[in-house]
Amino acid sequence: MPPRPRLEPAQLPRRLYLCHQCRHASLATATTPAPPLEYDSPMLPPIPTHSSTRQSLSHKPPEFRKSQLHRQYQSLLRSSPLILLFQHNNVNATEWSGIRRELASALRKVDEDLAKAGDNAYVGESTKLQIVQTGIFASALKVVEFWKPKFGDISAAPAAGGEAAVPAGSAGAIAHGQAPAEAHGLSEEVWRAVALNKELTHGLEPLLSGPIALLTLPTVSPQHLKAAFSILAPTPKFPAPKRRLNPTYHEKPVQEGLQKLMLLGARVEGKVFDMEGARWVGGIEGGMTGLRSQLVGMLGGMGAQITSTLEAAGKSLYFTVEGRRDMLEEEEKKANAGSDEPAKVESVGSS
Amino acid sequence: MITKYITAVSTAFSPFNARSGKTVRNFLALLPPNARSKMAIDVKMFGQREAEKPASLSLTFKDGKEMAMDLEKMKLKDIQTEVDRHSRTLRRVEELSG
Repeated sequence: MPPRPRLEPAQLPRRLYLCHQCRHASLATATTPAPPLEYDSPMLPPIPTHSSTRQSLSHKPPEFRKSQLHRQYQSLLRSSPLILLFQHNNVNATEWSGIRRELASALRKVDEDLAKAGDNAYVGESTKLQIVQTGIFASALKVVEFWKPKFGDISAAPAAGGEAAVPAGSAGAIAHGQAPAEAHGLSEEVWRAVALNKELTHGLEPLLSGPIALLTLPTVSPQHLKAAFSILAPTPKFPAPKRRLNPTYHEKPVQEGLQKLMLLGARVEGKVFDMEGARWVGGIEGGMTGLRSQLVGMLGGMGAQITSTLEAAGKSLYFTVEGRRDMLEEEEKKANAGSDEPAKVESVGSS
Repeated sequence: MITKYITAVSTAFSPFNARSGKTVRNFLALLPPNARSKMAIDVKMFGQREAEKPASLSLTFKDGKEMAMDLEKMKLKDIQTEVDRHSRTLRRVEELSG
């Protein structure tokens, strides 16, 4: 018989079937104590009933893609103060790559212009246009909006850690009494506090339905937003690049893909804006520094205005009095000149 | 949903109106990827302030029939049923005519 070839782990078929016990084997050994001797159901793996670390257990199993996506979306929401929401209706892969290419080149142009003026932030390089799983994104948004953890304050950890996250199927599990575990964004107590409370609303709920794509910028930069609008959602106020200047923008895949993208709204620094509001943010002249200098000028101008208004009364009084004094002096002079002449005539006459 | 026999879609809605916005947006998401070249799609979006304005959705089919959907009463499933019903008659006609 020919020798069996040695298989590298990467060459193994991807969808290797693992039985339930094998899949949870690592979990079992890492986190549970030895199972009790009268373990009646050998087919059920021992499910962790408490965490051996200070962290509370994740609401869904951490090895699921949705838990990892949830974490990624929480991090994305916390690190991007400016997020635009688009709906994408069956956009192809070629169309996506074309759109991303055009967006990247437009943002690079803005970056270079700003770098010449001295601003080396290069915001365009960390800007991403990505598709998100709407349901998981909605859940992550709720957690980010309504759960404000006090990191570093151990005494403030919620006391619900003991009965957290007992997954279904562990009918005989006992919740071990223990010190309260620290909550994190994936934990069950946070989910309970945030998702089940129907009164907490953040304003983006009606938008979070159907296929969603996000454009995330790491800072609120109106110049970059303007470039993004001119590519992704052109209007007369944010015109698309002309065919002669940018011929690749007018290629068929890019144009067809852009027709299928619809701007729904924006989330800027935690506040919800609709399309008009997002366009207003993009239309701020001069960027954030320009806005700040306008504000400073306005405030300084206000101070000058107040002083000039207060001074005006005194000034007008001064001018009135001065004018009156001048008039009186003139009259005196005239009177003196008039009385001088007859005196002169008399002295001439008498001598 | 059978979209082969739709020639034009015309909508006006506000994405901030939870009821009609979601219906219209999910309907638009059901159109196939090559839809834009085969049919005339006209989308008009209102802002957050006009969220209560009544939304409209009207379709035109290959045989000229115009169907206006009442978004107050219909959900996405109902719209799909309506479209399918008419599309199936058109399909039968097409099959019979060879």
